[in-house]
Amino acid sequence: MDYYSQRLQTVIAVTIGKDVQKMQTSVLERLDATAAQYADKVMFKDPERSVTFGQFDALTKAIGTFLAGVTTPGDPVAVMSGRHVYTPACFLGAVRAGCFYAPMDGDMPKARLNQILSVIKAPYMLVDEAHLEQAKSLEFDGKIIVMEEIMDTPADEDILAQRAATLTCTSPLYVIFTSGSTGKPKGVITSHLSLMTYIDSVCKVLDINDTDIMGNQSPLDYIAAVRDIYFPISKGASTFIIPKNEFAVPTALFGTLNREKITALCWSVAGVELPAKLGAFDESKPEYLKKLCFSGSVMPCKYLKIWQENLPDVLYINQYGPTEATASCTYYVVKEKVDDDTVLPIGKPYDNYKILLLNDDNTPTKQGEIGQICVSGPILALGYYGNKEVTDASFIQNPLNENYRELIYKTGDLGRIGEDGNLQFHGRMDRQIKHLGHRIELGEIEETARKVDGVKDCCALYYKEKATLYLFYTGEATGKDIVLYFRANMPAFMVPRKLVNLEAMPALPNGKTDMQALKGYFK
Amino acid sequence: MDELMEILQELRPDVDFENETALITDGILDSFDIVALVGELNDAFDIEIKPNNLVPDNFNSAKAMMALIEQLQDD
Repeated sequence: MDYYSQRLQTVIAVTIGKDVQKMQTSVLERLDATAAQYADKVMFKDPERSVTFGQFDALTKAIGTFLAGVTTPGDPVAVMSGRHVYTPACFLGAVRAGCFYAPMDGDMPKARLNQILSVIKAPYMLVDEAHLEQAKSLEFDGKIIVMEEIMDTPADEDILAQRAATLTCTSPLYVIFTSGSTGKPKGVITSHLSLMTYIDSVCKVLDINDTDIMGNQSPLDYIAAVRDIYFPISKGASTFIIPKNEFAVPTALFGTLNREKITALCWSVAGVELPAKLGAFDESKPEYLKKLCFSGSVMPCKYLKIWQENLPDVLYINQYGPTEATASCTYYVVKEKVDDDTVLPIGKPYDNYKILLLNDDNTPTKQGEIGQICVSGPILALGYYGNKEVTDASFIQNPLNENYRELIYKTGDLGRIGEDGNLQFHGRMDRQIKHLGHRIELGEIEETARKVDGVKDCCALYYKEKATLYLFYTGEATGKDIVLYFRANMPAFMVPRKLVNLEAMPALPNGKTDMQALKGYFK
Repeated sequence: MDELMEILQELRPDVDFENETALITDGILDSFDIVALVGELNDAFDIEIKPNNLVPDNFNSAKAMMALIEQLQDD
């Protein structure tokens, strides 16, 4: 039996949504409901334009009708579009055609985008006009469709209904790419069921409803944006897409939060740190903010303390979890006043998430000891797109269950259950790091550096205290050569900040690189 | 100016700091570059860059940054 059939058998039938008796088949049912209920309310807004629920719905139907005319249900549709209100409409337009979407950040270097396209092999790429030239320059065999040119397609309700009927709740909804240690990005496939389950669980904790206005920080192609996209679709909330360069100008950022009356933020830890680090609270504060959920890496509490002191009544949530479990696993409500050295627990599992701790030999970890955090439930990803080998190695039968199929995902993170029953985070088992809110395999940095002419041997390390990515290398390449190569081929967050050229790599007796010796160069 | 150029070149060797005049407005420097840069400038020039200094006009070019540094040193 293949992996996908196994998944179907293990999926737990959950009833999604408070008032819904019937289990929902897809996110389209949610969009239909909110579009009807909130037709004239603003759904998405950016500095230049806004769309109401009714307009958004119509857009997805126009795009969906066009795509239904050219695709086969179940096709991937690559989407490369900017930080504006039409991008989520492209995503949902693909879904209306019975397809799933693979979002791509057009600001990424061509080489990275080509890698993603070579994995997803989409027959169609949907782009906005601003990204058309970029799209044409990529290694892409399929057809490019310009969103602005198909936005007026008359909706064909019959065809859309036929396409919607091809979806089940376990159909893929999107594929989001993340760093892979072999040097090729991995496409994590998330189903409608997984996404809806997570959204409902996090909405319950954050109490998201139709009075909320989200301030989107995450790139729209990134996993963290699913809340900003699906809170409106599921709960009738609105989302304002904050321009990227405002994060470099903290006074402008808080000005925007106040002008747009933003009530809830689901940001990366790096995004939450920024305004506190740059002293934004000296000038003003977000007056309307009620809820702040942060995730992606460990929160340094000296910055959270600044938020708490200025905004004592805000609900602060520390969320933990990997893309493979639909962005999450556990959450912790920060009720205490934190100090500089407070280490926040990662808390308890969300509804419909099951957590277990395993030792290296797959035996259960004893109470109070450190083990690998494993997760199961309907939130597990469908695997890595087109990569059965890595999928089968990462999503395995629960070794503690001999009686029926139950897949778990081994996160590679270490955890311990504290005396208060809360899960604590104890770092990574491997060489995966979290840098600026992004997940990076140090192995992928090294694979990339080895492709630079004049780099012989290399080792990438992360200096956590200074949040600096180091690359140590031998060979005659200059630091500039290497940085330029990275800038041309990798996302900005994967470019090493400090480069150290060595005569020879320090080695351990077994011949492996002596990483501890290299850490002596950190400054 | 030389010291500033050195810091900038090390931070982002791929950027032409001699000629760019819209580093922030065009998104050439991102928020993480700015955080790193503010820390380095504060240390190197013994100044304190405040949030109200963090506006695009002060960081859009190397020349503008130099003017900001000189202004803060005079204060």
